[in-house]
Amino acid sequence: MIGPAPTPALARLRAQIAGPHAVPEVRVLRHRGTCGDAVDASARSITVDVPVVDAACDGACWAAPAATVVRPGHRHRFARLDRGVAGALAACVRGECDEPQAGSGEHGLTARLGRNDGTLADVLAQGGYAAYALAATLPPARIIEVLRATGLSGRGGAHFPVATKWGLVAAHEAALAAPKILVVNAEEGEPGVFKDRHLLEGDPHRLIEGILIACRAAGVREVVVYINGQARHARTAFERALADARDAGIVDGSALGGESVAIEVRSGAGGYVCGEESVILNSIEGERPVPRYKPPFATDFGLSGRPTLINNVETLCAVTTIFDTPPPPTKLLPLSGDVPRPGLYEVPVDGAMTWAGVLAMAGASPARVQALLLGGPSGRFVLPEEFDRPLEMRALGAGGTVVLGASADIARITRDLAAYNARESCGECTPCREGTQRLVQLLDDPLANRDRIAALIEVMTEASLCALGGMAGRPVTSALASFPQAFEMPEGSAR
Amino acid sequence: MAPVHEQPFDSDAPDASARLAAAAHAVQALPRRRDQLLPALLTAQHALGWLPREAVVHVAEHVRVPVSEVYATATGYSELRMERPVPGTWHVCTGVSCDLLGARALLAAVEAALPGWVRGIDCQFLCALAPVAVDDAERLYGRVTAERVLALARAETEGTVR
Repeated sequence: MIGPAPTPALARLRAQIAGPHAVPEVRVLRHRGTCGDAVDASARSITVDVPVVDAACDGACWAAPAATVVRPGHRHRFARLDRGVAGALAACVRGECDEPQAGSGEHGLTARLGRNDGTLADVLAQGGYAAYALAATLPPARIIEVLRATGLSGRGGAHFPVATKWGLVAAHEAALAAPKILVVNAEEGEPGVFKDRHLLEGDPHRLIEGILIACRAAGVREVVVYINGQARHARTAFERALADARDAGIVDGSALGGESVAIEVRSGAGGYVCGEESVILNSIEGERPVPRYKPPFATDFGLSGRPTLINNVETLCAVTTIFDTPPPPTKLLPLSGDVPRPGLYEVPVDGAMTWAGVLAMAGASPARVQALLLGGPSGRFVLPEEFDRPLEMRALGAGGTVVLGASADIARITRDLAAYNARESCGECTPCREGTQRLVQLLDDPLANRDRIAALIEVMTEASLCALGGMAGRPVTSALASFPQAFEMPEGSAR
Repeated sequence: MAPVHEQPFDSDAPDASARLAAAAHAVQALPRRRDQLLPALLTAQHALGWLPREAVVHVAEHVRVPVSEVYATATGYSELRMERPVPGTWHVCTGVSCDLLGARALLAAVEAALPGWVRGIDCQFLCALAPVAVDDAERLYGRVTAERVLALARAETEGTVR
């Protein structure tokens, strides 16, 4: 995988920034961020005589507390520092170790994740802004052509072709009365999904780079980044990176070319439905957080009636790889549950990777897995007979995957998901407001109510205003089809 | 008694008026536009820990939106607290991954030892470090056991009576 060669402007910027802030050749990255800080703090004191700097989680959440030793040609992550690996780490720093390990993300959008100290110098040294520097020299239509050739689809879950969406916004004249705007969906409120948070914490400059490429391609000069309210580390890291990028002249076009872009950061305040793009628009406008009727689509009539491009964080981060040869056809999978190495995995969706392969990366034996829950409250159960089939991008949704071991209670999980959807329904449309409640009731005896459940889910799927109601029946349908026996036993204390 | 979402701030607390004034001051720094409604509510909540009626009324006046509409909007967000939180309360995540790794038993054990001081909460997005607990300052703790939550809860409130 090869990224684009640096443009003269990027080479100048690198020299200018790297001069005063050279990145040491040997150093220890201590993985903090939300993951590192949520586990035993006693492991944070690392005493070696090379620089020790804080970095975010590198996606190996299972390893926390962890640190990575970086030497020329050598990168070695030491997992579970609370289990006494200080001696081995110190030996590695001294060069007495020839076992490079790193985990997922050798390339693609996790290549720098948690592997930089957060400074612009470090990110530039690892290839940051090379794609934007190139894009800034290309006509906007050419960027969209390159994007279209990669086939990149929206990584928020709906997998709409990104080039098509950009083209729709680019086609609007830049009107003074309704200037175009980019809204970055960093709400990420789907249970089981923690990928955008990792991207924001571990490599926020990649998102800024993706934003700048999108703005140039679609002719947008204003951006609102809407970040999940609970993701405080993510917001802090992004704001710091934004300030650094501004100081360096990257955002106003003076350093790398391109146009000046205004970027505003907003916090969300919870709610699964707030990940829906039209809900975000209402939220930013100060209206109730409920979805809008479509059409009109946001690309024509979005935030305050302006043509609005809405992209998810992972999508914009993936945009930074469109000039790579070849662009990585990867998807981020936040993987958790009954598995030895839960964390964030970047997997190739190239026809070769299977669920069995994903489980192997995470240290799980497929034979001991009952099913995977893919997509949380709007997802479905993936059965062992599917484990050897190639992954399909569209079928992955947002990617949230929970591994269910042999003892997992599928009936209870299904009821919990249905109850969650009922709690999170915003109440705006009847099929979802009433349907999610009624579905919970019918699940008291799902086998007797099978026909009514199917009829109700059909109405919810067809008539709900947004995907919360539209997809709330999926886990129920999936569980009843695949695990009818799980619903046969009378419920005990679970309810 | 006022509806749960229209509770007043604790007027008996000695610093109540000073804290309300500080919250109002923070809100006044924002532009007086409707699109600042959510930022204003978050600002007030950050200053006070929750959104008492006085703060909601002030936000409404500041961004020029009827109080009823501010309530209609605010109650749509799960992270906006319309009730006074009880200091020292812990939450245990009951999301699917936490549940698979024993969150329910953990919740029951903590509840048995400290009745009334722990509740379940929806996914906290730290699924890879399940099971997860949250303290009253919204700090996340991963891979917790009941013993660890109890030790933390007791250390936090040392010297106070439960």
